Amino acid sequence: MAEQQAPVVMMEEIVSLEYTTLATDVGIRFMDCLIEGRIIGHKSKQSGLVYVPPKGYCLMTGSPTTADDEVEVSDHGVVTGFTIIEPIQYPGQEETERYVQAQVLLDGASSALGLCRIQDIPFEEVRAGLRVKAVWRPPEDRQQTIVDSWGGRAISSCIQHWVPSGEPDADPASIAKNMY
Amino acid sequence: MADILDLPRDVAIVAFSQVPSVAQETRTEAQMLVESINGVLEQSGIDRREIGFTVSGSCDYLTGATFTFVQMLEATAAWPPISESHVEADGAWAFYEGWVRLLHGDIDSVLVYASGKSSLGNQQEVMSLWLDPYYLETLGVDMFSYAGLQAQAVLNAGKGKESEWAEIAGRSRRDALSNPNAQVRGEVDPAELLREDYLRGPLRPHACPPVSDSAAAMLITTAEKAAKLGVEPVYVRGIDHRADPHYFGVRDLSVSESARIAGEKAAAKAGFGPGDVDVAELAAMYPHEEQILVDALGLGDGVRLNPSGGALAANPVMVTGLLRIGEAYNAIRSGSARRALAHAQSGPCLQQNLVCLLEGGNG
Amino acid sequence: MAERCAVLGGGQTHHRRVRDDVSIAGMLREAAERALADADMDWSDVDAVVTGKAPDPFEGIMMPELYLTDALGGTGKPNIRVHTAGSVGGSTAVVASHLISSGVHERVLTISWEKQSEGDTTWGLSGGRSGGTGAGGAFAPYMLRYRENSGAPENTGFRVALKDRRNALKNEYAHLKLANLTEEAIKESPLLWYPVHRLESCPTSDGAACMILGNEKAARAHSKPVAWVRGTAVRSELGQFPGRDPVDPQAGRDCAADVYRQAGISDPRKDLDCVECYVPFSWYEPMWLENLHLAPKNEGWKLTMEGVTELDGDLPLNMSGGVLSTNPIGASGMLRFLEASMQVRGVAGEHQVDGASLALGHAYGGNAQYFAMWVVGSDPD
Repeated sequence: MAEQQAPVVMMEEIVSLEYTTLATDVGIRFMDCLIEGRIIGHKSKQSGLVYVPPKGYCLMTGSPTTADDEVEVSDHGVVTGFTIIEPIQYPGQEETERYVQAQVLLDGASSALGLCRIQDIPFEEVRAGLRVKAVWRPPEDRQQTIVDSWGGRAISSCIQHWVPSGEPDADPASIAKNMY
Repeated sequence: MADILDLPRDVAIVAFSQVPSVAQETRTEAQMLVESINGVLEQSGIDRREIGFTVSGSCDYLTGATFTFVQMLEATAAWPPISESHVEADGAWAFYEGWVRLLHGDIDSVLVYASGKSSLGNQQEVMSLWLDPYYLETLGVDMFSYAGLQAQAVLNAGKGKESEWAEIAGRSRRDALSNPNAQVRGEVDPAELLREDYLRGPLRPHACPPVSDSAAAMLITTAEKAAKLGVEPVYVRGIDHRADPHYFGVRDLSVSESARIAGEKAAAKAGFGPGDVDVAELAAMYPHEEQILVDALGLGDGVRLNPSGGALAANPVMVTGLLRIGEAYNAIRSGSARRALAHAQSGPCLQQNLVCLLEGGNG
Repeated sequence: MAERCAVLGGGQTHHRRVRDDVSIAGMLREAAERALADADMDWSDVDAVVTGKAPDPFEGIMMPELYLTDALGGTGKPNIRVHTAGSVGGSTAVVASHLISSGVHERVLTISWEKQSEGDTTWGLSGGRSGGTGAGGAFAPYMLRYRENSGAPENTGFRVALKDRRNALKNEYAHLKLANLTEEAIKESPLLWYPVHRLESCPTSDGAACMILGNEKAARAHSKPVAWVRGTAVRSELGQFPGRDPVDPQAGRDCAADVYRQAGISDPRKDLDCVECYVPFSWYEPMWLENLHLAPKNEGWKLTMEGVTELDGDLPLNMSGGVLSTNPIGASGMLRFLEASMQVRGVAGEHQVDGASLALGHAYGGNAQYFAMWVVGSDPD
């Protein structure tokens, strides 16, 4: 008698869908500047707050912002929060090694950028208040990509990662209100 | 089962703002909503901090990401924190939740908004993903195909003809000429439309909705708050929504039992019925759906159908139903109707239907 | 409020990593039929159905409540689908309660679920792109900040995990049942998102939770004890904006203050008999104790370390074993609301808090920005 086969309880059905996200005017401008090696934001006339990436509106007042509100911010900043990630595996995941993921408040911006990778520092020395600077990819490697709401993908297509800048740590009080 | 008809207070629509429907919008949904929400704030003169509750409708699968409503929340400038909720459905269901919330009497105003960009994905494929995942979705039936099944059922039942569908499509495009927010408009000869090839038999392209992007916002308040704001109210006299079974095989696709029940329940609350309105804005994406709904709701010859052009002229999924309520409100505000009906739908082949009966302030 | 609202019955599935013995519909009916039986009701007694779950791409079905209409007895009835991120199970119960308290319906069935085994949640969260970290990666920086701000000892998190896992052993429906755990074993488990270890984190579960809500007439006619809904509240804030405190979000503070006001609670630490709150990672227990006005700022960890939140403590927290033991995402919020109702009805079995008469159910989601809460009591006022 043939060996009994286990009953089928699950079958895989992969659903594949393609989406095309149109670049917005503010997104195109942000991306173009990144490719030139500059980081821009919008400064709201109503609140005075600087949003990086620019979204075309002020989150705190609901008023639109335009190209007239554009400002440039620094590629130096301060770590306001972080974690060390042990990558979870799933279809499409390319990360295999532990890494530091941080929020970085750029000099001149009002809220922190998420998903910034910090390198060139031992894990145990990473801390809130650490001053960091961008390590830009070579100009020829900078890719046009989607500018999502938090800007993480656009930034990582032009900035490889962030490293300690050697500047003294920021005063904790200066970042207490800007973790995100 | 019990429905309580003696509901305590008058709820009114006091402002409505929409972004024109287009085939492909470059702005983000949040940007479109900033415009819509600021539109209703300006119309009503309300301060956003006075709003008691905010509720929205949208769908992750249209945008192709998870938690997309979280980004839309940015358009509300939610600081200090707001009392807020979201339905994964057309904004008309958010409107319903807002209406329920206002009945409590502890707040006097609700902001409702909805957004959708069908252009981002392949709508035919996306709209097949709400079919039963085990037995139906795996068949690979796309959106126009299951609509075609229903159209064929209407034909077979003798409840509609292809020539009538071309007439309805022609009327829709003609009406859309005077609606700056509509997308498909023009004077067309129905006989000409009937020369088109079938897209999915018996549906020809003119009998199918366009792919549309849009966003809209609405402010609803108590009658007292409307008076305080000094804006002309349009009263929500009755509203109800019902569902049909999901499986095509267990229902007669040529009729809509759920629309009929929703119409009756809304009428019982309103004190007047669907047949008593001057204008009906139906979220019929296809002419045969309009015929099913006219039948189910008992809309007579005296009811003007879809003066905005309806969903055949612009179909921003997840916004289409809220637009019908907004256009019915516009019809009353402009004086072209004293009473109006707005309809919204969800699911394949008119599976869920919502009916809302509106009346002008002097009614 | 025009009408009082009460929980007439509740039910949940046996939660597991994989429930491959049932379809999604079958899983929901398992919870719903338990709830209907508890409420002494039949499907035909239900006026409306309110469903909730986390993002549709988790299972690959768009608006699955449409396909589930038939299985949930929704034909000819109103069906509403709620989605407010991780708080959704709570928000869904709140929306359902509003259908009663507004006076629109007499009896409403509300149900939430997730069947994570039929999809890939981390894939769903990352949109299929590389670099996804799951919810742990998003919340870890806030937990780290809390630890630094409060000076709480490292083993605060271990204590929370030990307690919740011990409570889960008393809950027949809980997913993870880890007996004989030690602080050492938790510390030795992989550090997934510094400072969070695997054993301080929630599992991936399949499961559903259901409640039957009714108005005063229906509640008075019911032969069993009911849980009276004494207050409901939801609050949202933006996930990222200048000046935001994601460790102690204002939306959570406001939501709690609102629900306490409705319930007539002036001192929640004293007035509440127990709390079932959304703790997907251990450090969220002390963080939420503070956010919910149950402990002074930076001192929530002391309640944990002093045993106050133990099942036999002065303010038991997560009697069911919590999200740390059972996490069918969309249902996780409703399970909190359900557990609170079970406590004040006195039907929580082995994890019952003696004499509990006033309890808080809590859920949160998004970037710690969406909150839903209710207070339920054994008495209507």
